[in-house]
Amino acid sequence: METGFLELTKLLPRWVDLENVVQDDVEARYILKRAADHLANIQSSRDSGEEETGYLVGALVDRSWERIHTGHFSQVPLATRKIYAIACCFKIFFLLLESTTPAQKDACSEILDEAQLLGCLEDWSELKVALMDYLDKGGAAAPSSETLPTLEPLTRVSSACDIPQLDAPSLEEFQTKCFKAGQPALLLNTIQHWPALHKWLDLNYLLQVAGNRTVPIEIGSNYASDEWSQQLVKIRDFLSRQFGKDTSKTDQNIEYLAQHELFSQISALKEDISIPDYCTISDGDAPGAVDIKAWLGPAGTVSPMHYDPKHNLLCQVFGSKRIILAAPEDTANLYPHESEFLANTARIDAAQLDPDTYPLVAKVKFYQLLLQPGDCLYLPPKWWHYVRSEAPSFSVSFWWE
Amino acid sequence: MPLLFTGFNAFGQHECVSGDVDCAAGFSELNAPVATQNQCTISIGWRYAALAFGRKLCLRGLLADGPNECVTLEAAGDIRALAAGDSHCLVLLQSGQLYRVQPKLQAELVAVRLEAPPRSNSGTKRSIFGTAKAPSSPIIEHIACGSHINVAISSENCIYSIPSCLHQFPERQFRVKQLECGHEHAVLLNVNGDVFTWGNGLRGQLGLAELRVEETPQLLEALAGIKITQIAAGGWHSAAISAFGDLYTWGVNSSGQLGMRVMKAGGVLKEPTVYPLPQLQDLTECACLQGGESNDDCAPLRVFAGSRHTLLIRRCGRLWVSGWCKHGQLGRQLQNLSYVDAFQALEGITMNPTADDVLCGPWSTLLHLRCTT
Repeated sequence: METGFLELTKLLPRWVDLENVVQDDVEARYILKRAADHLANIQSSRDSGEEETGYLVGALVDRSWERIHTGHFSQVPLATRKIYAIACCFKIFFLLLESTTPAQKDACSEILDEAQLLGCLEDWSELKVALMDYLDKGGAAAPSSETLPTLEPLTRVSSACDIPQLDAPSLEEFQTKCFKAGQPALLLNTIQHWPALHKWLDLNYLLQVAGNRTVPIEIGSNYASDEWSQQLVKIRDFLSRQFGKDTSKTDQNIEYLAQHELFSQISALKEDISIPDYCTISDGDAPGAVDIKAWLGPAGTVSPMHYDPKHNLLCQVFGSKRIILAAPEDTANLYPHESEFLANTARIDAAQLDPDTYPLVAKVKFYQLLLQPGDCLYLPPKWWHYVRSEAPSFSVSFWWE
Repeated sequence: MPLLFTGFNAFGQHECVSGDVDCAAGFSELNAPVATQNQCTISIGWRYAALAFGRKLCLRGLLADGPNECVTLEAAGDIRALAAGDSHCLVLLQSGQLYRVQPKLQAELVAVRLEAPPRSNSGTKRSIFGTAKAPSSPIIEHIACGSHINVAISSENCIYSIPSCLHQFPERQFRVKQLECGHEHAVLLNVNGDVFTWGNGLRGQLGLAELRVEETPQLLEALAGIKITQIAAGGWHSAAISAFGDLYTWGVNSSGQLGMRVMKAGGVLKEPTVYPLPQLQDLTECACLQGGESNDDCAPLRVFAGSRHTLLIRRCGRLWVSGWCKHGQLGRQLQNLSYVDAFQALEGITMNPTADDVLCGPWSTLLHLRCTT
């Protein structure tokens, strides 16, 4: 057994640390105790029941996956997501005991990403970081023969903008003119200092820091259509399919890394951006948490007309986005979907109005604008927005209350 | 070989005859008192199995601290049906009384008290002597449960989401033929061949174009006018067979449980995972049709489902399967695959299509063969 691996096992929680997490969950108690005890004594007692314990840990992962996928995600008990996450970690150790080939390490790093995406790993962040580091070193993520392009910075174009444009407003100015007034605005020159603006243009940089991570990708041009689906893929495969030099595949689907908390998953990328000070302004006394989401995709990704419940600052890192807005007062004229999932989404196509089917759209006051690299769009809660990328695009959004 | 088992058995939920006897298609024979007792009833939970014969109830599996734990209880009367859920097992007696029991070592049968229907008929009914009949506890005829749903149906066609009454179908001209539950949805078939669904439909389980939650039974419009003879409910999917021998599946296809392809050609990207509307499945021809006879002889007759797998009995007696098979739920022969995403025949097993029975646990399959093959 290599020493690197043995060092890792020392970071695993012992059964006494897990007992509080699993509480009265009968199967998690039995399986995690067995797994924790086995790995705690790994040097003295190999083999006794190792295969069976490994199988049980895998079964607990599958079982917890089913529980996480039952009912609303928001109502899945935190304990279930913690059990899933730690069972995934144990499963990785048992897989590594079987073999440490690059392919096996690759499979393990996918399991770790799923633990992070679906489960809750916050109690074991030291273990997560060490494990990720160990798996990345020996994974099959060999530098592929294909290199990705470096995107040309876009030249700024002048474009009509139906909402106020503010040049690097002060906090006070933003608070009065935008936040308190409930006024959408285009904020210019507020993120010029972000290293991301030039670093991320080189897609090989993204490939190098993030290529090995698994992320949720939306497939199909927009999430309200029947053809739409979502799945987990490796960033390197996504980048190569959507931005690679081999563009011969004409029937290719548009894939969109959308609304994903990429920066809590990949801390190196978080260092290339910073949370704008505007997000500290709040209605209450203490500023709340800020959700940071990444939006990366080729030209032609569409978010249909929809609204979000929080304050939103959409910052454009590269590429440009055509955006159409409408005020909350026009909600009834936008024909929201009736289903629970899509109630915040309009049935109308804002880019191609169809007054015959949806006569009330004639009453709506639409606001058009083009979001270019370095721009930030402030949207008050409940403002409707339609977003379409005009070129390969990377945006970062900040949501706060 | 009366009881053949395959699938998840890591907690000794099922006691196999003399260890690991591998029968046809990778099933093992179970040791259960079925051969002598015809009144044997089984229901399979994830970490335990419940088995009843006469008034005796036996729970086996992981009940507290480890595998192979077993408790035996005695009910107040003969047991008619069981529904093993995660946190409890529903126990229905021949008398129509409903009990529940927790799968633990100090297990106890506790009577389930059901709330009266909102507009109870019993209050207004008068006996021939003119006095009001005292409301009595309902006589339960059907039970089913999943991790997030518990359903009972009374002789008066009251549908209970235990313990409250959700809905009452008319007492005349409506007879329940079959009731099945997934993790969080219910499917009901009446003798006319109409299908009703309710519960959580956010993963397409209800067969409605729109993904939503339905609190009360809704007629499945997409199948209206088609006489359905058999239904099944898997974890997040459902299936139905029509009198014409057509098979419909809908809901989640994450592991091919609908019999639909999971990955697009090329093997990199997935096909859609959710099919909200019933999909007519075009089954490939049975091997017994080499002679070129009419396909009717091999039409699907009955359908069964576990958490992420589906089984069919075709008229010729062949067993066809699709879905997740990683834990051996489709027989040990397929265990090295993770899933099968098109219905295919299980070689080596022929069922009596009308007499034999199939019972699915969440991750397992049990064949109850009435006669030796």
